[in-house]
Amino acid sequence: MRSVKVKLSRENNKMKRKSWHLTRREMLRASGIALSLPYLEAMAIDTKKSSKNPKRMVVTYFSYGAYMPHGASGIQDMKKPHHEWSWWPCKEEGELTFNKNQAPFKPLKNEVTYLQGLDHAGGWVMGGHSSGDVFATGADMMGSETSNNISVDQAAAKVMGHHTRYASLTLGTEGGTGSYGSSKTLSHYGPGRPIPALSKPQVIFNRLFKPYAGKSIEQVRMELKREKSVLDLILQQSKSLNNRLGKADKEKMDEYLESIRSAEKRIDRVTDWTYKPVAKVKDNAVNLDVNYKNPQEYIRCMYDLMFLALQTDSTRFITFQTESENSQTHEAWNFATYALGYKGATHDIAHKRPADYSGQWDQWRNANHAYFVQRLKDTREGDSNLLDNTIILWGCGHPHASHSTRNYPLQLAGGKNLGFKHGRLHKFIGGKKVPMANMFVTMLNGVGVPTRKFADSTGEMTELTS
Amino acid sequence: MNRLYYTFIILILVGNVYSQSVSDVKNFFKSYCINCHGPDKSKGSITLHSMNFDLAKGSELDKWEAILEALKSGEMPPEDEKQPNDKERKSIAVWIDEGLRAYIKNASEKPSEPTTRRLTNFEYQNTVRDLLGFEIELISNLPEDPVKPYKFNNQARYMLMGMEQLDRYKENARKAMASAIVDPVKPKIHKTRKEWKPHPGANPTEVQFDEIGGRRGSPGGGMGLKSWPQTGEFVIRVKAAGIFPRGIKEIPLRLVMGYNLGKNQSTLQVEHVGTVAIKGNADNPEVFEFRGRIENFPAEPRVNKDKTTYSMTMTPQNIYDDGRLNDNINKMRRPRIIINWMEFEGPVYETWPPKHHKDILFDSPLRQSHPQEYVKAVLKKFMTRAFRRPVQEEEVSRYVAIYNQVKVDFSTLEEAMRETLAMVLISPDFMYHTVQSEKTNRHYEMASRLSYFLWGSMPDETLFSLASQGKLTDSKVIEAQVLRMLKDERAEDFVRNFTLQWLSIEKMKQVAINKDLFPRFLYTIKRGERTGLEVPYIPTVRDYMMDETVGFIGELIKRNASVLNIIDSDFAFLNQRLAAHYGVEGVEGHELRPVPVKPEHNLGGLLTQGTVLIGNSTGTAPHPIYRAVWLRDAILGDHVKDPPAEVPALSDTAGESAEKALSIKDLLVKHRQVESCNDCHVRLDPWGVPFEHYNAIGQYQPMVPKTGVNIRGLKNSNEESESLEDYKKYLKSVNTVEVDATARVPHGPKVTGMKDLKKHLLKDRKDDIAKNMIKNLMTYGIGRELTYHDRYRIEEIFNQLRENNFKFQDMIIAICKSKTFQGEQ
Repeated sequence: MRSVKVKLSRENNKMKRKSWHLTRREMLRASGIALSLPYLEAMAIDTKKSSKNPKRMVVTYFSYGAYMPHGASGIQDMKKPHHEWSWWPCKEEGELTFNKNQAPFKPLKNEVTYLQGLDHAGGWVMGGHSSGDVFATGADMMGSETSNNISVDQAAAKVMGHHTRYASLTLGTEGGTGSYGSSKTLSHYGPGRPIPALSKPQVIFNRLFKPYAGKSIEQVRMELKREKSVLDLILQQSKSLNNRLGKADKEKMDEYLESIRSAEKRIDRVTDWTYKPVAKVKDNAVNLDVNYKNPQEYIRCMYDLMFLALQTDSTRFITFQTESENSQTHEAWNFATYALGYKGATHDIAHKRPADYSGQWDQWRNANHAYFVQRLKDTREGDSNLLDNTIILWGCGHPHASHSTRNYPLQLAGGKNLGFKHGRLHKFIGGKKVPMANMFVTMLNGVGVPTRKFADSTGEMTELTS
Repeated sequence: MNRLYYTFIILILVGNVYSQSVSDVKNFFKSYCINCHGPDKSKGSITLHSMNFDLAKGSELDKWEAILEALKSGEMPPEDEKQPNDKERKSIAVWIDEGLRAYIKNASEKPSEPTTRRLTNFEYQNTVRDLLGFEIELISNLPEDPVKPYKFNNQARYMLMGMEQLDRYKENARKAMASAIVDPVKPKIHKTRKEWKPHPGANPTEVQFDEIGGRRGSPGGGMGLKSWPQTGEFVIRVKAAGIFPRGIKEIPLRLVMGYNLGKNQSTLQVEHVGTVAIKGNADNPEVFEFRGRIENFPAEPRVNKDKTTYSMTMTPQNIYDDGRLNDNINKMRRPRIIINWMEFEGPVYETWPPKHHKDILFDSPLRQSHPQEYVKAVLKKFMTRAFRRPVQEEEVSRYVAIYNQVKVDFSTLEEAMRETLAMVLISPDFMYHTVQSEKTNRHYEMASRLSYFLWGSMPDETLFSLASQGKLTDSKVIEAQVLRMLKDERAEDFVRNFTLQWLSIEKMKQVAINKDLFPRFLYTIKRGERTGLEVPYIPTVRDYMMDETVGFIGELIKRNASVLNIIDSDFAFLNQRLAAHYGVEGVEGHELRPVPVKPEHNLGGLLTQGTVLIGNSTGTAPHPIYRAVWLRDAILGDHVKDPPAEVPALSDTAGESAEKALSIKDLLVKHRQVESCNDCHVRLDPWGVPFEHYNAIGQYQPMVPKTGVNIRGLKNSNEESESLEDYKKYLKSVNTVEVDATARVPHGPKVTGMKDLKKHLLKDRKDDIAKNMIKNLMTYGIGRELTYHDRYRIEEIFNQLRENNFKFQDMIIAICKSKTFQGEQ
């Protein structure tokens, strides 16, 4: 059984139920001014209380591995020259230089770090088509667990999630949970509880910025109150059903009961948040009219939504899975075709590694991610910027070789205010190999969740912060 | 005394068989197995040296069953290894078989796999429809159910549940109840009508459009609604006729509604309203009527200065397609549709309030005199159907409490009841198969088992009534019910859902087809910046292929034909477009139907259907390994393991080979030279090679380009001409070599091509194919994986059916009658 050992620093977070700021907002709205309040103004009251610089974490995943022509195992072959289209920006450990593949990050040199040689041992046996399941969890799937386990974003959200309207945000290009071996989400509450990823931009926008769907606050509160008592009655009914079941079935039913219980708890939280203003974002702040046939527009729209969620401090913990190794029944299967004109399924790039598409495909994905990182950097927050307050992990569950489950391609960006240092390529190979979960421990500590152990970690990853 | 004596003797005998054989078995393992599956090597990650040889202990029985199967089928030991003689093989098989049988008979422990599972999205949608009495789309709001290759997704362990998901169910429940219960006031009727008139003096047939569209202002642009209701049923009437070029007798008119399709975008959302066949010419127009529920159609949001308004457009489509869609042929040779007028009206209802409302809030004097009694009665009636069993007083009173809780917030009984009944729809008794509940007596349990198996939905009145009379365990009643249910149109849902998952063919929709090589397979956009992309929202031959496979299985069931028809049949299930694709002449019209096939068509059975061949190709070339895996997994019932971690990839064909012909057989040989690959592929590849006469889009194409020849497609070789005939000529000119489709199948003969392969399968693998079919239907029917516990019940069914050559309906009936299906351990 794994556990996240955290010291609960329970801040007094009882919401003040004065609503003078609400009145002001309503006044503004009434006078017909379309508001797009910057972060500080909108959240002034809350931030004074919790922390000046919100600490955030984003975990993003790309599928099908990356191009590593001279080092298909995920480790650069030092006898061979560095390839200009390799996913690794440079050959030697140390200060970064950039090749063609990673060119989009060149302007962000001092904001990024690359990590070679890391992976989750728990996913080794799953095979390359499935190891993405544990990317954000590090769960031991070698035999003891087949239901996955809590992911790093949720470990953070459990402790820090109450500072924002949404404890966390789980996104994916395909949506839903997927299933064992073909997960479509990075986030898991805990064993057997994957969190369905949201994939539709309009739905995400509405959930973030129009939570009351046009109802008055009083009405919303009334409904929440009612809903809680109704859920309570349903819980009683369900328990009586549960008593009559066998062991295996009982476990299955527990999933349902737990869902109801969490829903009840969330109602309390949501009710508290009705005493605070909803971050106001203009309807046209992001182009939501996007679709899978134009993957660049779609992916950037998702990044824009993540940006808005962070900027408005609607949430501080986000995961985003782009595609999956099992997209056969989804348009994501053809992203490389739509984006680059590649004749074949995107998945085939990983298997065949065509010289004229592999590096370009990586570069295309990098450009989209760099767009997001740059946008955070360009946005002021307090006396620094959004990026410095956000640690972003970007990577995949296997390297170049199509079915390998070791030595993931990994990049960290941002989070300078959380203690992260950048501009280097680190190699964790040979005697220096450590579990990737060590990085999670450092990330969790960075966002203010005191952690000694996560999954199979053996310590902190001090290289990242010194 | 005598009896006891016999028992004693038998026990001794059985005991003797064991004790005498254990060392024999161990020796057998030592001689034939341990070399590859022992402490030194563990091929296929299977080791046998440390097995527990006391089967009565009940450990590793799954493994023992696998060994038994491998021995019986002759799959192990591999052909190139030392072989036991038949007697040795048989005696070991008998030993394992008896051990298994004895264990299962005496086992007190039940299989531990959970059977409490939530409804799949498919079952949920259908159940809500049958419970409320109208169609309402709810699935798009739910996370997709997992798709596992060659597995059914109705198993408990795949059916997860979390808080976020519960939210979606809640939203759905409220949406459904908002439509089910109407407000007392009669709603306003919304009407829109549009007429198309030819220009003064012009030919009256001017108001027409073909499959590409019509001129500006033609009916091809459809009709925007001025206003429309939020809920309720609508009717659309269209007065239409056709302009028929010589030889064409009908034109399919498809109607979609939602976003305005006039824009050249692909974000548009529309839903299909219906398709009709136009047979009358301009002098004999007909009026067609379409019906639907307005909630199921997406309104297009339009943002105008701070305010979002919505629009709703209905668009008619001319989907005539004889395989020449992308040809640049003379426009006047295309069949065209004339539309004189269309009108929309909604909501339409025969009575107010509508029936689905009155079924819930029925008329009763109690409503006035004893409101609490009325609420109780309403809840009891609804819950009984929603829970698919009689409900207890205490359960009803819990929901009465919920009603009392919510009614304070609402001004009318209707509103409060909507909310209360929505809560019924998120209760576990509704959302889960609760067959394990004590409250569900076995007859109601059986009613649900039958209805979820054969309809993917809740039981109907007949089943409920039989359950209440305690008749549903009677063999004759089961048989009659199965036959009745298979005739019902809801059985089509079962056939579709079962077939698509069993054959794992839905992936064929996402295979990226090489448009240069196969320019007529997809319908592509001709102009503008999106040139070359697929035209969205219009069905193509690819969509019809799904219907072909599903319809084919449906037809086998309908005819009570032998399941062996899946290997070969004397008919195919086609419409005009499919027939054109496969080269079958004389099939007209849009409806799919059974069509007799001749040997020269190279059709019949499942193995030659586009779904199978495309789903297991790369879009450019066939993929013999995918096809082999498909045959073994879906048809023969062998579970083919996924490639292990770290295997080097077969540098197969799509992508890079799009321009250079490659012999796949040579590639396979290369792949097999690596020993670690060879172990599995030597037993796999030969099954895929006989499929090689069928190309990546599922057509019979025995000739291929010579290795190394440029096959850049027609477009680059001759840009002038793009007609179907020229394309065929081009293919003939490059395809000069016959494909080598010869392989010796493992433990079988040498086969050349599909016909040989079918012959071999029907001769030597009949039993495996039939047994696999029983197992698949049973697994789907009971919603859990079969284990060795079920082994002998499956065999019983198999033996029963053998005499009549495994007829489809008989098989389904035998499954429903079996104890395994009825939930007895």
